[in-house]
Amino acid sequence: MSAAEKKRSLVVMRQSPYGGSLARASVDLALAMGAFEQNYDLLFMGAGVLQLVTGQDSQKIGAKNIGRILTSLPLYDMESVYVDAAALDRYGLNEADLVLPVSLLDESGLRSFLNDADHLVGC
Amino acid sequence: MLLHTLNAGSSTDSFRDCLRSSQSGDAIVLLGDGVYCALANSAARQALDDCPARLLALASDVFAAGIADRVGDVALIDMDAFVALSEFYPRQLAWY
Repeated sequence: MSAAEKKRSLVVMRQSPYGGSLARASVDLALAMGAFEQNYDLLFMGAGVLQLVTGQDSQKIGAKNIGRILTSLPLYDMESVYVDAAALDRYGLNEADLVLPVSLLDESGLRSFLNDADHLVGC
Repeated sequence: MLLHTLNAGSSTDSFRDCLRSSQSGDAIVLLGDGVYCALANSAARQALDDCPARLLALASDVFAAGIADRVGDVALIDMDAFVALSEFYPRQLAWY
């Protein structure tokens, strides 16, 4: 299949990193998609933006460092990281607080972006 | 065209972000805790009515919640209709 025919998937990350196991599961999904050479983008919304915050140290809670895993995703075929700008505002964060370079989406950008994906996975 | 399934109360990020992500041509199906957002005269319901997406609610969950006569004018669907909707809309996004 040529690159032009390849479907683009969008994984929507909405869970905080350590409140439960869902964030880790969605990061694992992203890693698996990369391993199987799927084209995908990540979109962080709501509490999901907290996964991207720099300086995470999860050693004492016995969990893998989600922020660190996310920084490795560009090595695994992930295309781009998008962030709902309003979610950053909601948590008083800005791009400098994040572990990866991201593209910010405003509300209308968000709607068209969701509509343009071939496949959607909400986590 | 997106099918949004909303299984979250109106105080959540999920509720807010579901509405912000919806546009004309989309449909929102309320299920689970999401059915409470349909309560007539609530702020949540007003926000849903102001949203350009089509609003539906899963009848079994509305009846389970005991609010069937308190949701006013909303399309109640059974499981077969829900399945048909999921066939009609090419993409689905779950908010929970």
